[in-house]
Amino acid sequence: MISLIKAALGSVATVCAHAHPNGLLHSHLKVLTAGLKTLEIPPNYSDVVLPDKPKLTFMNKVPNLKKVQKEMKKLRDIQGPTQTANTFTTGQYAIVAMGGGYLRWGHIEMMRLTINRKTDSRTTFALWRFSAPYKPITRKGLGQRMGGGKGAIDHYVTPIRFGRLIVEVGGKVELAEVEKVLTEVAKKLPFPAKVMSRETLEAFHQAQADLEKNNQNPWTFRKIARGNMLGIRKVLSPFDLKNHGRFTGKFYFPGRV
Amino acid sequence: MAATLCGKLLPKKACDRVFVPGWLPLTQSIRHGSKAVTRHRKPMHFIKQKLMAVTQYIPPKPAAPRGAYADETTVVKEQESPLMRLLKRDLEGIFRDCKMVAVAQNNGSTSDDMVMLKYRFQKHGIMVKFFPNQVMRSFLSESIYSNMAPLFIGPTVLLVSKEPKVKEMLSTLRVTQQMVLLGACIDNTLMSTQGLASYAKLPSVTVVQGQLVSGLNTLASQTSALLQRHPAHLTALLQQYVAQQAEAEEAT
Repeated sequence: MISLIKAALGSVATVCAHAHPNGLLHSHLKVLTAGLKTLEIPPNYSDVVLPDKPKLTFMNKVPNLKKVQKEMKKLRDIQGPTQTANTFTTGQYAIVAMGGGYLRWGHIEMMRLTINRKTDSRTTFALWRFSAPYKPITRKGLGQRMGGGKGAIDHYVTPIRFGRLIVEVGGKVELAEVEKVLTEVAKKLPFPAKVMSRETLEAFHQAQADLEKNNQNPWTFRKIARGNMLGIRKVLSPFDLKNHGRFTGKFYFPGRV
Repeated sequence: MAATLCGKLLPKKACDRVFVPGWLPLTQSIRHGSKAVTRHRKPMHFIKQKLMAVTQYIPPKPAAPRGAYADETTVVKEQESPLMRLLKRDLEGIFRDCKMVAVAQNNGSTSDDMVMLKYRFQKHGIMVKFFPNQVMRSFLSESIYSNMAPLFIGPTVLLVSKEPKVKEMLSTLRVTQQMVLLGACIDNTLMSTQGLASYAKLPSVTVVQGQLVSGLNTLASQTSALLQRHPAHLTALLQQYVAQQAEAEEAT
């Protein structure tokens, strides 16, 4: 009887031993309490529709014209702020020009290749916000003297004004993902450019409006130029009447009101 | 600078019932040099530079200079997650039901130690609770127990019980190496470790009541004991009392 009990106890003991083979390990387990980390809810992209062709399309170096004609320089197509293509269409983030300049085919190819290579076409799409080069730029041959007529067409360019969107990017992405690529591209453009989202562009315009509203200076450029006070129009251009001293040539002065 | 001297009135149009005032300037200078739009930054005419300087933006001046008054710190209301709300509800229940809420610092106790500790506490009806400090602090700031907030720094543990079993808790904690008692709130009274020790040394309510009753009865019992003894003892005591009174009178 006792032997039976002993045997039973013995078996129980062994069972216990087997039940906790890692008994030694358990004793070293520290007591850790769960913290309280609140995570941000990721953005909802359910309403974002990706277009059929999410990549940037190829642009021609030369326009397809029957009659090729030389054109005057007309540098006023760089001057001042843009009236077209200064708002977003379908995208969320864009490269915005902060000055005037001409975009050549080389710049366009650089943009197209970099953006197409570095963005994932399953989640991001990009589109051009300017047309292919159409303005002919002429060059005379090397070492030629003045005169002898206008030079031959060398290449074509697209004029870009301040405030124009260059490339618009959208899709199921946040700004941080796309910003790196776009700043890379923006640095290589022939004019100063910034990466902006819809909110930041609005904030930019709002900041300018606030400057105008909160200006304590009773003398503004607009007032003095319009009234031709002190005959200042002798040193001003007719464009200064429209641009109120915020632009000269192709350059933009930030902080001018 | 080449100039042509010519001044003439503006050309009259065919439909000319109204006289158009105006005239073209006498001199027309041929401008030369760089164009309006250049690659380089064109040097601005000095008068225009002056104009740009005069028409600069002047920001509005604040009423008091910066640094005169302390910046108003905006209190950012933390976003309460549903888990936080749940934990706060639990805390509310604990503070409502339990008379004793003690805070101890738990320094690296293993799961084995915790199991043993919980078992020892369970025998006296004390429960060991874990709550994140963040939740604790936000709950305390909104409740009447806001003075307990400084206790909750570091890895803390709540020891709660319905009845204030201080002696048993202290004895158990004395044995454990990892737990350090920081303070407790017993019957809505915040106590430090020393206060708790003295509280533990207090006798129970019945004992205190008995002591009070016996104190009140000492007078009657003493007088009865005196009367029961030999009257000589009583007279000697009275004589000594009279002598003391006389001394006191002489002194005043």
